[in-house]
Amino acid sequence: MARNSWSRYSNRSFYLFVSPWVLGFLLLTAAPLAYAFGVSLTNFDGSSPRWRWVGFRNYVELFGDKEAWAALLRTVAYTGIAVPLSVAGALGLAVLLNRRLKAVGLWRTLFFLPSVVPVVAMAIMWKLVLNKDAGILNAILNSVGVKSISWLVDPMAFYALIILTLWGLGGGMVIMLAALQGVPAELEEAAIVDGANRWRVFRHITVPMISPVIFFQVVTGVIATFQIVVQPLLLAETNSIAGVGQVPQSTHLYMVQVYQEFFTSSRFGYGSAMLWVFFLVILAFTLLVQRSSRLWVHYEVDTDSDR
Amino acid sequence: MHVNRHGRLAPAAVTQVRFRNLRVSAGAAYVLLMALAVLFVGPFVWLLLAALKTRDEWAAVPTRILPHEAQWGNFVHALTDINFPAYAANSLFLSTIYAVLITASSAAVGFGFARLRGRAKRGLFLVLLSTMMLPQILTLLPTYVLFSRLGLVNTYWPWVLWGLAASPYLVFLFRQFFAAIPRELEDAAIIDGCGWARIFLRIFLPLSRPVLLTSFLLSFTWTWGDYIAPALLLDVDHTTLSVAITAWYRDPHGNAIPTVQAAAAALYVVPALLIFLFAQRYFIRSVVASGVKG
Repeated sequence: MARNSWSRYSNRSFYLFVSPWVLGFLLLTAAPLAYAFGVSLTNFDGSSPRWRWVGFRNYVELFGDKEAWAALLRTVAYTGIAVPLSVAGALGLAVLLNRRLKAVGLWRTLFFLPSVVPVVAMAIMWKLVLNKDAGILNAILNSVGVKSISWLVDPMAFYALIILTLWGLGGGMVIMLAALQGVPAELEEAAIVDGANRWRVFRHITVPMISPVIFFQVVTGVIATFQIVVQPLLLAETNSIAGVGQVPQSTHLYMVQVYQEFFTSSRFGYGSAMLWVFFLVILAFTLLVQRSSRLWVHYEVDTDSDR
Repeated sequence: MHVNRHGRLAPAAVTQVRFRNLRVSAGAAYVLLMALAVLFVGPFVWLLLAALKTRDEWAAVPTRILPHEAQWGNFVHALTDINFPAYAANSLFLSTIYAVLITASSAAVGFGFARLRGRAKRGLFLVLLSTMMLPQILTLLPTYVLFSRLGLVNTYWPWVLWGLAASPYLVFLFRQFFAAIPRELEDAAIIDGCGWARIFLRIFLPLSRPVLLTSFLLSFTWTWGDYIAPALLLDVDHTTLSVAITAWYRDPHGNAIPTVQAAAAALYVVPALLIFLFAQRYFIRSVVASGVKG
């Protein structure tokens, strides 16, 4: 029986292997979050050593801060428009490509390409396209008799940001395409033989089969668009973080407001409180969505099992 | 005989139904795809056209589509008006260091979660998965404040630290790969008296070459494309190409020069696109692994 007491596994080797992530998580994620919470209880301005504790005053102020609320609502509106459109667009493109087409690989590459363009280049490109006087979009609109639109200022900047977001939906398309290819063809064919039309097959067979993937896309999409800050910054006339105050009102999202508190107003304490509230909002959203997912996401296998 | 797209024999009736549907919609599908392709590729073309125009041609009313003569000089200006090669070297250096370190650390952590056992492993893995959801932008500002107090601003240490800390996303990618490797490989090595470190380095790592490449390319493009971290942490001399091309192409009056900036953006985006085109299947693999397996 002595042989059974021998084990190839030891806690030591496991922890040795996972220690880079455990230490990294503690020092580079948990510690900064804890530090931010500490700072959020002070009136620290980023440099002066003469800060003091203010308790939860920053949080109380934030609760009555009209600008922060407006920025949060704007963020929700932006997310509420951009995420459904990107997910639906990604699914639509994937359906279009999931058939006997010539050069499927080429089309896929074309649509996937924009999603790997660095954000800085993306912003420069779209500023050129959307430029009021020299941009190609207004030139096209002019040629069909529509007057030039000021895309990069209020109120159109909001839509410019959505266009920019939609341009990058190729990553989602690739995922959807892989999911569609995993749907057994027999199921769809059986339904067609039974007299269902294509739309009903799509609606009642294809979509439920890939609903876990759609669900995942929505969740990660919401979290990604919630935290957007670089795109509004780079689409604006400003060219640095210090110029964050010049971001147009309509793209002044929550994280833009946070950066403004940090770098224009030097209110590190207040900005940290904003970060923490946002962290809790995102956490609550994630938990809520996870809970509700069982109601409408179809899992072929039990999700509780480990592998 | 009719074979459907999964290579299985399909009943003739089904194929005919499909065929008729396809014939009607295939033409429409190509038209739609063409129109969409113009939308997706148009901005690239417009960038290149802007990079080849004179400033007057760029600003001309009504809008000019093509330059009268290609202004290759814009690219020379892009390379020489600011110290482009130095910033490109910074970007390259930072991206490479980060990609090498994070690939190594994520592979090790992924191996631990896939093949080893230890107390609280399940709980730790849940924490790891949930940090995949945690926006990095939330921790970046406090990290910046902490790093500036520790004197790490204007050094490349933050990227070394981030690299050593492994990425939950890449850990997940490696874990999925390592978990699928048959146990017999490991058994044989253990009987030969190998420790886990040797098993990892000699057996599992060589097997995972495609995942290593995916991880390296992916993390390389993350840093190459990152704007906010270098903008916060690095000054004019240390910063990367992404920050440099955003702001510093100005004429003596302080106005941005769009044509030269377009040329610079084209030069900046080329490495990222080349990596992507040559290694597309690796990118698709990683995207799909993260999205479908969730």
